[in-house]
Amino acid sequence: MQTPDEIIHQPVRLKVMAALNTLDAGKWLEFVALRAIVEATDGNLGAHLTTLENAGYVLVKKDFAGRKPRTRVCLSAQGRTAFSRYVMALQAILAPLNPDASGFDDNQ
Amino acid sequence: MTTTVEEAAQALREIDLIRHRAAGFQDYQAESGQLLLWGLAYVVGFALTACFRDYLIPIWVVVVLVTIGVGTWMASRTGADGARVAWRYLAVIGTFLLFCLALNIVFWPLTPEQGAMLAPMLLAALYILRGIQLRPRYMVIGLLLGTLCLGGYILLLPVFWPWMTLACGGTLIVSGLWLRAL
Repeated sequence: MQTPDEIIHQPVRLKVMAALNTLDAGKWLEFVALRAIVEATDGNLGAHLTTLENAGYVLVKKDFAGRKPRTRVCLSAQGRTAFSRYVMALQAILAPLNPDASGFDDNQ
Repeated sequence: MTTTVEEAAQALREIDLIRHRAAGFQDYQAESGQLLLWGLAYVVGFALTACFRDYLIPIWVVVVLVTIGVGTWMASRTGADGARVAWRYLAVIGTFLLFCLALNIVFWPLTPEQGAMLAPMLLAALYILRGIQLRPRYMVIGLLLGTLCLGGYILLLPVFWPWMTLACGGTLIVSGLWLRAL
């Protein structure tokens, strides 16, 4: 049995990676938008982002929009590759049951 | 630790759900800019028409051309495929304007108020259809826009132009802000 990436294979981190993977390379998503998409609390999302950042999967940038502090998140190239591999690992697990599963496009 | 088939299937479903939600968010974000822009254009257009009724056509020609220019520039800045998005944007706006022109020709003569109702009503119908097919907030925007504009035309004709400034321009601006807010 395949073992998908344990860092991604956690509900909140999976959602974060899936959400960021929908953006074009180099595009940043604001923390508040990401929080709404993954439906997590500030603290919970922040903790999981730290885990993903330490793994090199996401980049976190803190700056100011006018006078307002702003945190933005982006999927790194390493994170994009890891997510792609993760999806392939899931498909491989399902492949014996569903021959069509290999057609799943992880970048739509 | 191994992952079971059920867990793998659940994870893939979760990815699909988030992808759909993120796409909706990006769609709303892109649309909000255009709603704010066209809302501002309608506010300016209707307000100027209320003040200078005799210059209705030059006012709207300038307002529409400037708005299309700014809107195309905004569309071209979305993502890596900006040029194609800009052309598609121009095609959509062109189709919309041609349809309104065709309605004017078919139903001519129209009063200025009747002519001014065409674009907002068409826009309202398009948003309702888009809401039914894609995302619910668009349906709310279409219903609100259509109801306020039609209501004003039926009940508030003596103050039609100021009313349309709020009902059409105001609704689009508020809708743009609503789509931007999460």
